[in-house]
Amino acid sequence: MLNLFKIEWLKIKTYRTFWVLFLGFLVFYPVAFYLTAYKYMEQMTSSKSLEEQVLKTLVDPPFVFPKVWQSAGWMGGLFFIIIGMLFILLITNEVQYRTHRQNIIDGWSRMDFLKAKFSMLIFFVGVGTLLVFIMGLVVGKVFSDPGTDMFTNIHMVGYFALMAALYLMLAFLVAILIKRTGLSIIIYFAIVCIVDNVLWLVFTLKDSQAGYFMPLEVVDSLLVNPFKPKLMEKRTVADYTLVIATLIYISAYAYIIIRYFKKTDLKT
Amino acid sequence: MDKVSFSVPSNTVFGILGPNGSGKTTLLGIVMDILKVSGGSYKWAGNESTDKMRKHIGTLLETPNFYHYLSGEDNLKIAAKIKGKGENDIERVLQTVNLFERRKSKFNSYSLGMKQRLAIASTLLGDPDILVFDEPTNGLDPAGIAEIRDLIKDLNRQGKTIIMASHILDEVEKVCTHVAIIQKGVLKTVGSVSDVLNTSGTNAVLIELSATDNKQLTNTLQQMAGLESISEVDQGIEIICPENITAEQINKFCFDNGIILSKLNVKRKSLETRFLEITGKQSDR
Repeated sequence: MLNLFKIEWLKIKTYRTFWVLFLGFLVFYPVAFYLTAYKYMEQMTSSKSLEEQVLKTLVDPPFVFPKVWQSAGWMGGLFFIIIGMLFILLITNEVQYRTHRQNIIDGWSRMDFLKAKFSMLIFFVGVGTLLVFIMGLVVGKVFSDPGTDMFTNIHMVGYFALMAALYLMLAFLVAILIKRTGLSIIIYFAIVCIVDNVLWLVFTLKDSQAGYFMPLEVVDSLLVNPFKPKLMEKRTVADYTLVIATLIYISAYAYIIIRYFKKTDLKT
Repeated sequence: MDKVSFSVPSNTVFGILGPNGSGKTTLLGIVMDILKVSGGSYKWAGNESTDKMRKHIGTLLETPNFYHYLSGEDNLKIAAKIKGKGENDIERVLQTVNLFERRKSKFNSYSLGMKQRLAIASTLLGDPDILVFDEPTNGLDPAGIAEIRDLIKDLNRQGKTIIMASHILDEVEKVCTHVAIIQKGVLKTVGSVSDVLNTSGTNAVLIELSATDNKQLTNTLQQMAGLESISEVDQGIEIICPENITAEQINKFCFDNGIILSKLNVKRKSLETRFLEITGKQSDR
């Protein structure tokens, strides 16, 4: 796997679009997260209005331990969509320039090609998770009272890793099936931003828990919006159930990808 | 492809010949595991095909496929790594195709001919014993074409087996020792070039002729016994006939029928004649 990753790295290390999007995530997410935390804390400490005081009691402070882990993961997820787009691009580029054919002709098996891309997926998830951990730690340290327990809720970082993996597996699936860069990205965004949320809403309005098992909502529900008051949370499904469901989704996507790519003709 | 079956003798330059759309690239795509088949099998060097085996075959399929934002050299590094070969062969292969000077330039800045050269360089990585070229002289200038043909002959002299698909008959005739002719996915004939040329039961020859009124000439020739085919071409008529019909006989027949020929040219029997006999004059598309 490491060998395959090294070859993938050769492919992208001088690819400008890769660096623009990758650095975009590495820079914008931490800056946005820190600034949001800063502004929020500033407002909370200075506000005297009744409205804001009420809100304060409804919502746990999102940027201090232990909730900061959830906030870091949730906001990391928003920015990680950039990486989803980048991952799609890296796969559809291969199809567009027929380099996926050439890789096979040169002696990779079709599984080698998929494994190489999967090694990139692990790389992105790893980097993203590390960044979420660092941001949680830094922001938590800055805004929490000294001596606050840091490690309660740190499993939220693990939830982020799971979320990142599921989002990229979906991107992988869309890219392999659709092949065209533009269309793949549009479909990916449609699923991420619209389809999944609409399905969730429909089920939740019907007072059903099924909405929490939608393809992406399953993991989004583990890292909910930290600004959302607890009273609005209607989920009764346990975290571990959603973790298992997420792993099932990841396996299902992997199964479809492998089955399709092993049997398909490699055309553009 | 419909029941195409043949074997390629080692140390030959084996041409796969066919009109546009006949299935040459499809055939090569199948043996490279790019295309999946509903039935049939193939072997490389007598063994069942594996992914590993392809690492030891140099293949150029259809168009050069490289990462457009990487230099020629970096692209070859990727190919070498996939093939499990060292990077120290890259300089040699780039020198062989005269691309060493431009090795640092990005692939998308290359001309069509340079892209083709890079693709050929890539096939030479690790000095494989089997090479597969699909239209290897595509996009090359006349000097480039001659160089690549010499390279192919040279590789063959070194004992390599070369499989080459082409629709350029002249190319196949100049370079190949063996040939298979495919049309609409069906194998029409296969064997050494000399065998294929001489197995036309009648040993036909091609004769070009013309007169002031070519229509009248065609009508007249249709009366003559023994001709295999008559077709109008650009500036005259081509006939294919058995060797025993001589130019004199044709000249006399025309003269006796009131036609004076302005041109009468017996062409040596070429692969082109044979190819057209086999595939007909219609393109498949």
